[in-house]
Amino acid sequence: MIKDLLRIKKLDASLAIFIGLILTSVFGSMLYATTPLAVVGPAEQPPSVEFPLGTDSWGRDLLALLLAGTKNSFRIGVTAALIALTIGVVIGVTAGFKGGIIDSALMLVTDVVLVLPSILLMMLIAAYFKERNPLYVSIIIGVTGWPWVARAIRSQMMSLKSREFMYLSKMAGIRDVRIIVEDLLPNMASYIVMAFVLLMSGAMIAEAGLSMIGLGVTKGVSLGIILYWAQILESVRRGMWWWFGPPGAVLVSLAASLLLMSTALDEYFSPRLKGG
Amino acid sequence: MLLEVKNLTKVFTVGLFKRMEIVAVNDVSFDVEPAEFISLVGESGSGKTTTARMILKLLSPTSGEVIFEGREIFGLKGIDESRSYYKSVHSIFQDPYAAYNPLHKIDRVLNQVFNLTGHSGAERDRLVKEALKEVGLRHEDVLGKYPHELSGGQRQRIMVARCYILKPKLILADEPISMIDASTKASILKLFSKLRDEYKTSVIFITHDLGLAYYVSDEVMIMNKGTIVEKGSPDDIMNRPQHPYTKKLREDIPLFYRKWPGF
Amino acid sequence: MKSTALLEAQAVKAYYSTRQGYIKAVDNIDLTIDKNMTLGVAGESGCGKSTLMNTLMMNVKPPLHLMEGTIVLDGKVISKMSRYELKNNVWGVLVSLVPQSALNALMPTKRIIDFITDVIHHHTDVSISEITSRAKKRFEELNLPGDSLSMYPHELSGGMKQRAIIAVSTLLNPRLLIVDEPTSALDVSTQKQVLKMLMDLRKTSIIESMIFVTHDIAILRQVADWITIMYAGKIAESGPTEYVLFEPKHPYTVSLTSAVVTPEPEVRERGLASIPGEPPNLLDPPEGCRFYPRCTKSMSICRSVEPPLVKSEGAQLVACHIASGDG
Repeated sequence: MIKDLLRIKKLDASLAIFIGLILTSVFGSMLYATTPLAVVGPAEQPPSVEFPLGTDSWGRDLLALLLAGTKNSFRIGVTAALIALTIGVVIGVTAGFKGGIIDSALMLVTDVVLVLPSILLMMLIAAYFKERNPLYVSIIIGVTGWPWVARAIRSQMMSLKSREFMYLSKMAGIRDVRIIVEDLLPNMASYIVMAFVLLMSGAMIAEAGLSMIGLGVTKGVSLGIILYWAQILESVRRGMWWWFGPPGAVLVSLAASLLLMSTALDEYFSPRLKGG
Repeated sequence: MLLEVKNLTKVFTVGLFKRMEIVAVNDVSFDVEPAEFISLVGESGSGKTTTARMILKLLSPTSGEVIFEGREIFGLKGIDESRSYYKSVHSIFQDPYAAYNPLHKIDRVLNQVFNLTGHSGAERDRLVKEALKEVGLRHEDVLGKYPHELSGGQRQRIMVARCYILKPKLILADEPISMIDASTKASILKLFSKLRDEYKTSVIFITHDLGLAYYVSDEVMIMNKGTIVEKGSPDDIMNRPQHPYTKKLREDIPLFYRKWPGF
Repeated sequence: MKSTALLEAQAVKAYYSTRQGYIKAVDNIDLTIDKNMTLGVAGESGCGKSTLMNTLMMNVKPPLHLMEGTIVLDGKVISKMSRYELKNNVWGVLVSLVPQSALNALMPTKRIIDFITDVIHHHTDVSISEITSRAKKRFEELNLPGDSLSMYPHELSGGMKQRAIIAVSTLLNPRLLIVDEPTSALDVSTQKQVLKMLMDLRKTSIIESMIFVTHDIAILRQVADWITIMYAGKIAESGPTEYVLFEPKHPYTVSLTSAVVTPEPEVRERGLASIPGEPPNLLDPPEGCRFYPRCTKSMSICRSVEPPLVKSEGAQLVACHIASGDG
């Protein structure tokens, strides 16, 4: 199956872009000598040989900032996605499998969280914490992003539950939890992978959004933080394209490549969409 | 009395706004003794598979009772009671394509039952190979393979092998030989007879094939639109049918030794 | 070609090409369909009967290849025709095939009449109104409700759909109709209706001859004049129905007829026969008689020499050394 997946052009291209950007940021931030937050040169310089992406209003190297920022955005994105995925899958599986009152109760909770404006929720939680490290930010994003996953997994679970192959396991006296893990989850694996990809994309953008209103990480740097500084120092009006351009482009590329990946995966796993 | 089915009814409600009720099984009652072969004969949609699912505790009834060895099965709770029930009552499913999880090797279908019997290690291997031999499969041909690599007939036989390992008191066999070639059907039926003779196993054959029911059962029940319209010995059903549905069924079955009038 | 023959197939070999080699699905078969004949072709899974049907009407495209042999239908050598010629002059016009699970070929978004006009337009330049009136007339002739033409597939029962499809296959008045397992998905009463319709097609001469392919021998007992039993890509026995079914000569036919399960007392008395083993792998079939590994009556010649299809003591042809008295 992996071989078949790698033959899809869309998947190859998007995977290449995404992994390329991430690896560059990870190794780049390790190899590039300049410390991101250090003041190393004259302020507001356009790109040059010494500073390939120029400097910001404090004289910090924007390339160093971009590399470190991408790496951190990715870390927060992955962690937030994992948190949201876990919550969504556990709730979706339980609600779909058990049904009845448990299902109704869990769906009520899901709907409430779904309906609450996530930005507001994130703002409230973020404002509560004076010190915000990457993990806190991941948690904030993760606990607001899971409802659609829970609903989708629940539907999948409900349809799988009535498939006959469940019966053989049930009649072997296997406990429900084991049936879910051995029989049902593997049949949902493709969907869970797609959900994870989409969650990552959403999380990275959410992180940027939080940071741009000043509620991102309090220490350190991320793509959103760079954009935040770029914005409050009016880099757009003042034409400092080297400040807001690259981080914006990287953020869009990351999100777009993830979305493309999920479309490609979706087409592969649901042949009907291919135009049949 | 091994099994008593009393006034079993199942009503499905469908539709979102305009809710409709479908009475799939309507007040069905019958008994099964140990070492007895019974057939539940009906066309698709007659309710026979739904009845079987309820007896197997895979579906709960709208009303009615199923009493196995003196105990009402829908009152049984907990994993241990479940296990003990399935050790005695097991099933062969009609659609060998839907009944297998496509992501697992078929060995799992056979090895799962050891969860109920408690066998381990070398004993398991021996029992699996013996059961496959009894259903006419070579273990080298089927073990380690995925469902899509095997034919419908092979998949059906593996389900029969699963039951053979378990040797339950009651088997619900839903079209157990429909996909098996005519020349090998008899060997599977002989296997059921062997289980009956040696282990006092009873079988409820669920089928649309009146010929099979006639050949193999002690008692035949004809089912139509959710109700049992007629019950009797194979001879009674064939030679003295009472209900118009039974009569029509008898007329429409292609016979071998007699020609249809006008054909 | 014999004057009484409608279709003659000689020394036909049709193989499937696969990475592991050729699957010899139809291996050196001679078959004649006379005018005014209903031929039943019976055999178990993998015997090659469906492949043979496709080959007989030259519906042959890779991975299926016609390796050798000639097929003459209505005096025309169709085995030499191009696909274009076949589409325009043979398929639907001289011979029609209703394949297995044809029910599923109906597009859920088209009404029956639209399906018909699509199919017929493929073949001829006949106008839509002409097609519609022909369809109405044919449906009436066959006791199918005329208003079913304007219905969608989901509005019709399985039996109705099957009868409609069969009716459509006769619209261009082919001489030969081939039906492959037309009733296996239907319940017993609907099955009888469909079988009656097929018999009517012959009685009213809408169709001259018919080939009925099935694994269910009891059905053939009721509808066929002549029966051909296939095993592992070859013909085991072929002859008038009464002879093949009640005085079978080939050991395989003997077993097959003793395995029929109908609700008749004779079945109970006789018991159900069972043959051990499985049909051979057609990638590499045995040298001699293909039934040899499972046969209880074999002689040493059976292992090395393939038995030819010859006249037996009875009225039928049989491919068996024992039955034809060799050795």
